[in-house]
Parts: sequence; C-alpha cells; structure tokens
Amino acid sequence: MATGTYDLIVVGAGCAGPAAAKTAAELGLKTLLLEKARVPGEKNVSGTCLNSAALIDPDLHYLLDGPVEREIREMRTYHIAADRTTVFHEIPARGILLLSIRRDHFDAWHTEAARAAGAEVRLATTVTDVLEEDGAICGVLTDGGERLSARVVIDAGGVNSLVGRRAGLIPKREGHDMILYVTAAVHLGKERIDERFGDCIEYYLGPGIQHKTWPWIFPKREVVTLGTGGYMDEELIGGAVPSVNTYMQNFLDLPVVRKKLEGGTIVAWGLHLEFDESLEQRVRDGLILTGEAGGFVAPFLGQGMPEAFFTGIYAARAAAAAIAAGDVAREALEGRFEELLGENIFMQAFRHVAATNKKSILSKPDEEIAAMMQNVVMGGGFITNVLHTNWMRGAAEGDLGPVQEAYDFLEFVQPYREIGGDFETLYNERQARRKAR
Amino acid sequence: MKLEMKVDRYPGDPGEFITVVEDRCTACGRCERFCARGVWERVGTVYRPVRIEDCVECGACWNVCRDDAIVFGEPRGGTGVRFSYG
Repeated sequence: MATGTYDLIVVGAGCAGPAAAKTAAELGLKTLLLEKARVPGEKNVSGTCLNSAALIDPDLHYLLDGPVEREIREMRTYHIAADRTTVFHEIPARGILLLSIRRDHFDAWHTEAARAAGAEVRLATTVTDVLEEDGAICGVLTDGGERLSARVVIDAGGVNSLVGRRAGLIPKREGHDMILYVTAAVHLGKERIDERFGDCIEYYLGPGIQHKTWPWIFPKREVVTLGTGGYMDEELIGGAVPSVNTYMQNFLDLPVVRKKLEGGTIVAWGLHLEFDESLEQRVRDGLILTGEAGGFVAPFLGQGMPEAFFTGIYAARAAAAAIAAGDVAREALEGRFEELLGENIFMQAFRHVAATNKKSILSKPDEEIAAMMQNVVMGGGFITNVLHTNWMRGAAEGDLGPVQEAYDFLEFVQPYREIGGDFETLYNERQARRKAR
Repeated sequence: MKLEMKVDRYPGDPGEFITVVEDRCTACGRCERFCARGVWERVGTVYRPVRIEDCVECGACWNVCRDDAIVFGEPRGGTGVRFSYG
C-alpha cells in the first residue's frame, strides 16, 4: 500500500482548495492538493460570478490573472406579480461589479497556480476516508488505497464533503438550511449576448419560477447561465412541481426570458445543493473545514466563491502557524482561523446582509415578497432591503435604534464604494499581462 | 425552449457510490421525491437507486433520508458526472 507524508493535505480543487494549497506552498509547507475530477471545476456547479467587493482585497488580487468570461457592471431585477412587472436597473458601483467566469476554466487555472507555487497536485483522486490517531485527524485514505499522512488536513471538498462527514462535522441538512438548485447554460453567441445582456446580470422573482430564492441569468462570453430552485422544505416539490426542473422550465417560459433566449440552445445542465446556515463546528484537531464544506456561504444570497477563497487562504495561514508552533490541536488552529475571519469586512458585511434578507424573505409568501421588493424604491437590491427593513421597522415602531442600525450598516458596506477606477486599472493590467503570456 | 438535462460523463466505472441499508429503509420515498434525475424507485418494501448511471452526485437523497438508510460515497476518481460552464 502506497503512503506519503506531507505538512498539509488539501482535499478538493474548487475555489478554496487551490487558494489554500497555493498559500501553504508559498509559506514553505510540503503541500498536496487532491481533486476527484480529471479537470478541476468539472465537478462544480455554481453562480460563477466573482464579486469585486471581495476581489479588491489584496489577498485575492492574484485571481485577476485568471480566465474571465465577461466583466459585469450592472444588474437588473425583474419583480413579476399578477398585476404588474417592475424592473429595477442598478449600477451599484463605479467600476466592475462582478467577474463572470467558467468554473471548469477558472478552477483549472487556479490549480495550476497552486502547482506553480510548489504544491503537489493529484487529479482524478477521490478521498474515501480520513485517518485518525488519538482523536486527531492525521491524513486521508484515497480510492487508490493510499494512506496519505499530514500534520493538518484542509477540507475543501464542497457541500457534502466526505472528509467533513467522516470527521463528524458535516450533518445532514434540509428545510430552510439547504437549497437545491438547477442551472442551464444557453448558447447564444457573443454578438447576441452583447446585444441582449451586455455587461448586466439579471435576477427574477415571479410566480412558479422559484421557491423563496432568486432565479438569475448570468452572461458569459458565448453562453448565459440560468439558475433557480429553492429551499428544501416540504413545499419545494409536490403537486404542480414534480421536480426542481419545473421551476427552471417555468423560468424559461416567462415571456421576457423567452424573448431574451430566442435562437439559443441549451448546451449544459447542472444541479447543486447549497448549505444555507452556519456549521456548529468547523475545526477539529488536525482539520479545518473551508469553503462550502465549512458552510461558508452567505445564506440566502448563495454567494460562496469569495468566502471559499478567503477561508482557504486563512486556513492555510492558520495551519502554517500551528505547524510552526508544534501544536495543531483544535484550539490553536481555530483561534488563528477565527481571528482572520473576524478581520474580514467583506465576509462580515455579507453575512449581515444575508441573515437580514433570509429572515425577512422566509417569513413571507413569494407574492408578498414580490410586492415588498417592488416597494423598495431605492434600487431594489439585497443591500437596500437590509437598509429598508431596518429603516421601516424603526419608523413603524417610533424607535431610532433600527434607523441607527441602518446607518451603521451603510458604513459597513463601504467595500462597494471602493470598487472604482483603481480596481479597474489593476484588473486591466493583470488581464493584459495574461493575454501577453 | 424545452429544458434538456444535458450532462457529460467521464468514461470509466464510478462504482456503487450510493447504497441502501435495506433494514433501515422505511420506504418513505423522500429520496425519490427530491431527486431531480429519477434515480430512485420503490422495489418491494424499500427504495433503491435503480438508475444510478443517471446520478449527478448532488447528495439530495442522502440529506433528506431521515432513517439513515442511504450510504452516499463518491465515484472513483476521474469518473462520474462532468459539468461544463460550472
């Protein structure tokens, strides 16, 4: 039986894994990155838009060297109710709002960046179990029968990661803790996408097209991807909705969507679960859970890629510090990991946005949500809803507390204000270097 | 536009990565209900993943099984579903 010994083993080459492996290798750790797909990204389904409010963090600047499909600067939201449809068109930042990517290209590039930094990479390798000694995780077992040892294991294996499950940290989840969504990629060609979508993403809310979530259309270079689904409660499936595919079919059948996709062909379909709450515990002796495995997804917004990059990097730093200090027990790993997370304004801000939205959305039926959002006149976005919810509560109760909260929150979301010319210059320089290579 | 579930697969045998502990299955049918791919079917007094070759490894069945009757593993490395566009 083959064996191997490393400082750090990272399981999964999605967003968190390569970030962790690259960081660890740069810090001088003997690092192994394992991925079950033949090409990183080919087992992934996601929203595929990277948020600039995260990318302005210097830790993530290197990601601007990666393959980008389209720069997104604007967003439209369609609120479709029985009596009227309201369209909000927002330009929330002065520069690039999001970078639209393909995970099968981007994750593959990111994995090569980890390899170039000195990490060993093994593709087409499935981890089947964790190795334990005296209650500490000390390695993994692969489907090839290899026992691979490490001082620390970083789990970046996604929402149902076997590592986190075997380690007893990832439980079963459903109801309002889990979202099941389906995606479809429609090929339209660059010219038609430029004309119909340009640099704008779209969100929809309408009858029969979602279950308490937000269907979306994100343009890439040659295709647009659509996503919809809902919380895995008892109302998700049944009656007129035999499957989550029904929501997608109804979405495709909306007259406004049908027109936008005219002449297009479905070229790919995907399905994904998304955990929508916080895990109770993310660290054990010798193990840190990152990305979706660690439940690092902004609930309700479903945004998980920036959280994955950050937590991958932070887990690697925490592991390196713990290994250097000769103590990889939970307390040492968790202390540094949590400290780094707490300092990240982006993650804290989005958790707040998400939690407030989730609370206000899940308490109402879809029709009421559509009407409520139509009344959010300041722009119709998720951030606005947080402000609006607090403000209106304060006004209704004659209490200045929630109004102050709204003001404080406005200060808190300053990262969006920072997305301006400097970021665009940096992006353009890095992409120009990429193209020159 | 009619929704087509277009997915690719890697060549090679993914192995029996979903199995049922039949003693525990109470035939509640939640696995079949939440599966978007029609993998599950009632066979006698239990449910079985009779069309596992159509599975896209989302794990919905494992998550909604309240009887702990589903063992949800991973396909062998480099096999199983292959998504495009992410």
